Amino acid sequence: MNKTFEHTEGYTRITQWMQSRGNTPFGFQENTWKKYTHGYSGMVIAPTGFGKTFSIFLAVLIDFMNQPEQHKNGLKLLWITPLRSLAKDLARAMQEAIDEIGLDWIVEVRNGDTDAKMKQRQSRSMPDVLLVTPESLHLLLAQKGRATFFKNLTCIAVDEWHELLGTKRGVMVELALAYLKSQYNQLRVWGITATIGNLDQAIDVLLPTEKKRAKIVAREKKRIEIIPVYPDEVEVLPWAGHLGSKLADKVAPIILASKSTIVFTNTRNQSEMWYQLLLEAHPDFAGQLALHHSSIAGPIRQWIEDALSEGKLKAVVSTSSLDLGVDFKPVDTVIQIGSSKGVARFMQRAGRSGHSPFEVSKIYFVPTHSLELIEVSALKEAVKTQTIEAREPMVLTFDVLVQFLVTIALGGGFKPEDMLPIIKSTFAFSEINEEEWQWCIVFITQGGSIGRNYEDFHKVAQQKDGLMVVEKRRIAMLHRMNIGVIVSEAMMRVKFISGGYVGMVEEYFISKLKKGDKFVLSGRILELVTVKEMTVQVRSASGRAITPSWLGGRLPLSSNLSHFLRQKLALSTHPGTTEKELRFLHPLVARQNEHSHIPSTDEFLVEYIQTREGYHLFMYPFEGRLVHEVMSALIAYRISCLFPISFSMAMNDYGFELFSDSEIKLTEAELKDILSRDNLMQDVVSSINSTEMAKRKFRDIAVISGMVIQNMYGKQQNNKSLQSSSGIIFQVLEEHDPHNLLLRQAYTEVFNQQLEEQRLVAVFDRIHQSRIIFKFATGFTPLSFPIKVDSLRQSLSSEDLAARIAKLQERTLYKGKSEKEKRK
Amino acid sequence: MKLSEHLISFAGQDLLLTNQRAVYWPQEHALVLSDLHLGKAAHFRKNGIPLPTTVSEQDLFRLQNLVLHYTPQQVIIVGDLMHAGANTEVALLRDLTTQFPNTRFILIKGNHDRHSLQQLQGWGIFAFFDELQLSPIRFSHHPRHNGHPTISGHIHPGIRIQMPHKRYARLPCYVVTKDQLILPAFSLFTGLDTRSISDNAVYYAIYGDRVFEVSP
Repeated sequence: MNKTFEHTEGYTRITQWMQSRGNTPFGFQENTWKKYTHGYSGMVIAPTGFGKTFSIFLAVLIDFMNQPEQHKNGLKLLWITPLRSLAKDLARAMQEAIDEIGLDWIVEVRNGDTDAKMKQRQSRSMPDVLLVTPESLHLLLAQKGRATFFKNLTCIAVDEWHELLGTKRGVMVELALAYLKSQYNQLRVWGITATIGNLDQAIDVLLPTEKKRAKIVAREKKRIEIIPVYPDEVEVLPWAGHLGSKLADKVAPIILASKSTIVFTNTRNQSEMWYQLLLEAHPDFAGQLALHHSSIAGPIRQWIEDALSEGKLKAVVSTSSLDLGVDFKPVDTVIQIGSSKGVARFMQRAGRSGHSPFEVSKIYFVPTHSLELIEVSALKEAVKTQTIEAREPMVLTFDVLVQFLVTIALGGGFKPEDMLPIIKSTFAFSEINEEEWQWCIVFITQGGSIGRNYEDFHKVAQQKDGLMVVEKRRIAMLHRMNIGVIVSEAMMRVKFISGGYVGMVEEYFISKLKKGDKFVLSGRILELVTVKEMTVQVRSASGRAITPSWLGGRLPLSSNLSHFLRQKLALSTHPGTTEKELRFLHPLVARQNEHSHIPSTDEFLVEYIQTREGYHLFMYPFEGRLVHEVMSALIAYRISCLFPISFSMAMNDYGFELFSDSEIKLTEAELKDILSRDNLMQDVVSSINSTEMAKRKFRDIAVISGMVIQNMYGKQQNNKSLQSSSGIIFQVLEEHDPHNLLLRQAYTEVFNQQLEEQRLVAVFDRIHQSRIIFKFATGFTPLSFPIKVDSLRQSLSSEDLAARIAKLQERTLYKGKSEKEKRK
Repeated sequence: MKLSEHLISFAGQDLLLTNQRAVYWPQEHALVLSDLHLGKAAHFRKNGIPLPTTVSEQDLFRLQNLVLHYTPQQVIIVGDLMHAGANTEVALLRDLTTQFPNTRFILIKGNHDRHSLQQLQGWGIFAFFDELQLSPIRFSHHPRHNGHPTISGHIHPGIRIQMPHKRYARLPCYVVTKDQLILPAFSLFTGLDTRSISDNAVYYAIYGDRVFEVSP
């Protein structure tokens, strides 16, 4: 190349094309183009809305125009995106660009929505650019013709890598890349990611073996403005959820003043509630307000998304179901209800408004209880310092590996000795040992190590030449249906008895209902009539109803956010603070300080509160609900080692409560022991039911590894005789095959994800270095009250709850007053 | 194998509900069980799901012990003896039935039972009925609600029991009403249906070596 890059034909044509649309390339885009031309693989890190896609996509086009002789017919660019909904619009934009630039390339999509005819045509002759999901890529690898699909491929792009990293879908991508690179060593691999806490590791995972590797960080930043919505007055005894209804009147005007709004909630339960609240607050919203969550029927969701794109809706109340996906251009306002639980999620949601590169993303924060206002100030700090969560990559996920091995066996076979180095070249399996590898091979060929016990089992067979292949058609069919790692909860269709489809709901929820019970779904009140197979028949109803609390609805607080929370809480006592949110909270903070204490960052607060009901021990690690669940069980266990006592436990993201009707006699020295970091994990294991937890983790593993055939609607009849639940398989394996690697993986996942071992150790290290403040009180404090309320909520119906809480509030406040009067 | 019993009266008869998911009826010297689903693990293996043979062997071993213990004149299997087609595990049934030449093995036809009497006889099944009437009790795979005292299976009934800390345990159970006795699935390799539970029945749940009454 004797011409400088800026004078090449490709560069000139691309920049001219951009100019014709009134654009000039960003610095990071030009960098990417250059690096790509020089044969690099790499990672582009840029905020949404700045043309990340065009950095890599145009790089491939430039390279092609500069040296067309190097490119042959067929698939040249494979584009992996985590979302189906993203693919369609992306393909349209790419095709448009290609047409305008004047090339004859064809861009197509291939995923679960693509019709069979199209797929067949693609298998015969691939387009130049193909957009796939990780699942549809694996399905391509499971096809006999795979060798012809990819032979002229020059680049694989992995979009939204931050969404895939840390998930089993990410591991699927790692495996597919490793396999393709081993077959076609000219491949360049490029990732696109938003900023995350562990960028360098993210690059190592995607590009573990590349020698020429570029990291391109956009200098452009997205500006975010956070606007808290204040209640009229601060409640000194806050409780979660209650404030929401009061604030609906303040949210409605924000929606009215905007063109189009997305209201983000954290759970489906909350979204159903807010949908009703907003309709009550402003009845004219009827017809312009929609509800979007993953239990709403697919076609309805699609309709809502289209309507949102076309600006036909005033507002949509949604859960994380709208976090990702296509940009909704008309949306100019985002409202977050309650804690976003993490910095990355908050920024992502904020980014749903103000799309064009230099527009400011505006997000309103609506606290569900006044304490959450501290979070506003914590989030501002985190956004300012760009302290974003890390995404821990998953390793040694054997369920994904055995699935992948069958996939490769299906699409033409593999030889184990060739395969092992490929597997080992991935980040996820770099540590796999010989024994584990052998186990995986035995698992797919013989079923288990005791041969006679696995008679008739032939999933993958070894041919005379050593090639591992799938021979039986039925096994091939079952496997193809099962490819993927997204395991859905067993879902049931909800239909009106008169006909008409309402939505989907977890079987778990329905199993708790009886005939005649009423529940809320898709913003409607429904009465359960009968349950037939996987369909719930309902009729319209009115009156009191239960809102399904969907499993997994509650996200844990990220450790980044909790760090800033503790910091801001400690700051809140200083009267000179400049932060408006904290000043607003002053009455609450003052009361906490007067009756108990506001912990500074090097203190750990424990409150012992005696009330008419009994004895309450409150602790405030500010580490999120998941960690608190484990901690409360651990502390309860350690106390019960000192003297016999039984507790009930409650927790929120800030702290947890141990409640007992007998006295919890603890000296400060004993308390220190209880909070000790010695024997931590041993005590944790003694305090929880790890088998039960592993059983839950095994649910996904069983499906991914093919031990359980997923119950797919419409196809379930064919496989009825193969129905079983992961719980049964788990028990069978525990009893008959305890050394099963998949079983061990379930326990490992419990320790890494559920118990968050590393984080737990860090928490106890921090407590160890903190001063422990042990306070006694005779009424609930502002910090303890929301936890107490949360525990009441789980045992009482909602109407009783409001009355009960009012009483509690009254009693505590009254007591506070009378004590003050006494003092006077 | 630990065995425990719970005596109930049904259709005027004394019945022993055991923790081994089978009922003994002293007057007729009959051991009654349902949903053995023999060969299920083998059927899974054939379709690429690796489960060891020991899963089915365990069920047959439990059945063998029950027959040794009660020495019944007849074993009534209230349907779903086989899970799918004939396979290596199903053949193990023959080994069991030949051990007890004085016991008649009777099968009530279940929705999974698609074999001919001739085939069944080959495995040592003495008789094969759609339904069977014995003294005051009728045997039918599917529960019948026609006022006639019936022992049935099919449902694999289970019950959710609340434990401390809002946890639930799901246990296999017998469902008893005035004219219905629904048996738990005999095979340990089966799921539970906790949904088809009605209010006006008495439940006898099985947990470890115990059978105990539960009100839902």
